[in-house]
Amino acid sequence: MISLQQVSKAYREADGRPVPVLERASLEVARGEFLAVMGPSGSGKSTLLQLVGGLDLDFTGELEVAGQRLRGLDDRALSRFRNASIGFVFQSFHLLPHLDARANVALPAHFSGEATAGDAARAEAALSRVGLAGKARRLPAQLSGGERQRVALARALFMAPPLLLCDEPTGNLDAGSGAEVRGLLGALHGQGQTLVVVTHDPAMAAVASRCVRLVGGALVEVRP
Amino acid sequence: MSAARWAALVAASLRRERAGPWLSALGVAMGVGALVFFVGLGLGLSRVLREEVFPVDARRVEVVPPPVSLGGLLAPAKLDADTVARLSALPGVTAAYRKLVVQVPAACWYDGEFFGHRLRAGFDVYMVGVEPALVRKDVAPGEFSDAGPGEPVPVLASTRLLEIYNKSFAPTRKLPRLGKDMLAGFEFPVQLGRSFMARTEDSVQQVRARVVGFSPAAPLEGVAVPLATAERLHRERGVGTDAFTSVVLVAEDPGAVPAIAEGIREMGLQLDEREKSAAEAAGGAVAVVTAALSLLSLLVCALAAFNIAHASTAAVRAREQEIGVLRAVGATRAAVRALFLGEAAVVGLGGGGLGTAAAVGLARAADLAASRGLPAFPFKPESFFLLPWPLLAGGVLLGAAAAVAGAWIPSRAAAAVDPARTLAG
Repeated sequence: MISLQQVSKAYREADGRPVPVLERASLEVARGEFLAVMGPSGSGKSTLLQLVGGLDLDFTGELEVAGQRLRGLDDRALSRFRNASIGFVFQSFHLLPHLDARANVALPAHFSGEATAGDAARAEAALSRVGLAGKARRLPAQLSGGERQRVALARALFMAPPLLLCDEPTGNLDAGSGAEVRGLLGALHGQGQTLVVVTHDPAMAAVASRCVRLVGGALVEVRP
Repeated sequence: MSAARWAALVAASLRRERAGPWLSALGVAMGVGALVFFVGLGLGLSRVLREEVFPVDARRVEVVPPPVSLGGLLAPAKLDADTVARLSALPGVTAAYRKLVVQVPAACWYDGEFFGHRLRAGFDVYMVGVEPALVRKDVAPGEFSDAGPGEPVPVLASTRLLEIYNKSFAPTRKLPRLGKDMLAGFEFPVQLGRSFMARTEDSVQQVRARVVGFSPAAPLEGVAVPLATAERLHRERGVGTDAFTSVVLVAEDPGAVPAIAEGIREMGLQLDEREKSAAEAAGGAVAVVTAALSLLSLLVCALAAFNIAHASTAAVRAREQEIGVLRAVGATRAAVRALFLGEAAVVGLGGGGLGTAAAVGLARAADLAASRGLPAFPFKPESFFLLPWPLLAGGVLLGAAAAVAGAWIPSRAAAAVDPARTLAG
């Protein structure tokens, strides 16, 4: 599903000095795997996720995701790739505050090229899948943190993408809500979903089928 | 992204915060409203000038002899029968109508009943003989032909003169306002050979004149009489009449007029463009004032566009995370741009529609105020405004265009937002 070969990525300081984040990192993730990526803050975990998700193409090395070489894709092709192949879940949920839960979940459909008919029913089905069947018309402000993250998870699943990328999905949640989200991700893995989860949460890593740690810009296998 | 999905996103986005966009729309509305109002006023005044004050038929030209002529050496000096025949034969000319100014002094001394009022007035009567075919549609009822000596002279008065009488003369002298029908058949005495302003001739002859209609072809300062009557009066009073004063040529269509004008000049004759020049001068003044006010209104539109640019720039900064989310779920840069431009277009359409509606309402209110508050004056129209649908549609579209122009650069900034940066952390 993911093939990362000798990938390097550096940011630039204000004075132009490069700050390396990933250095010749390599990684293979098979279809159906649940990979946890751990490491200290600032080690490049989120950067790795953005590269894999096609949000950032400024890197060296080879990167192939869901059978697609990302380097060289134009904006249209890259957007189509993100729409159809990737589901993102962010630590801060990133729901649009003016849209209700159902509209937030159906947001990717606007860019899919599909007809609008059936959006609402599909969105409600996705919400049911994460246990929010009765809260489709609630605005994000009317939901708890755990519920918001589950709406974000439903949005990520809406287009049935082959790969789910989660950036600290339990980082802003209390213990109970975190456990619910971990349970949902574990269940998805059980249904064959490929997941890459960046986390500080050992409990989350425990749910994963495999765990790597970013150390000094390189990926180190922690647990097969 | 389909149009339906784009519209749904734009609508959802505009619903979130209504005050900001509608304040921007208000700016657009002010500019568009002022523009539609002033352009409508300019068009309305131009219409009054064109149709009422200076009714110029684009197919007609009036030929006059040059004021100074070298006689028969280079060009014909007079509009005699032969010259009229040559003018009629010019390509594109469908009819030629002769005119002859009566060179016999004439005056009216009226002392009697005038539609229920006592009237004592004296004035010179300026008469122009015209061919009945030129004014046929203006005659009703009665005959506009020479009735012979001893019979009343049929006359056509100027429609503009009637307007000036009704709106200016009658109110100040407390005389009744008159309609065309009321004056049809009205007779007044005319003394041929007499003048209040020039020398009175030795022989003064009493005749009666009968109003048989009103025509824009009649002179403002006098009346039109049948050409045969003018020629008879000249014969009776011993005035030599071997030439006409002017000839009105009617072209097949307005496009043929330039070639006809060229032919006239080649014959050594001139076009009488006094009326046209006056119309152009008055129309030009209206156009200049309208243009100045329209420019001011466009400036307001430009300021509204700047305001939208400012608001959109701030909105892009405030919505960077939202843009990042849209990009993460598959929005292209073009889709993000279209979203911001769409929001601006809706605001602009709203503002344009509001401004246009306000302009129409203000125009109606101004007309109402003018009809109640302004005294009657010559050529006072029922409406000072002309608001054709292309102007109204243009106003609405201008609002949208101004708003889209304002959002153009901010929308590019929105499309360039880096999702990796805004979604980090």
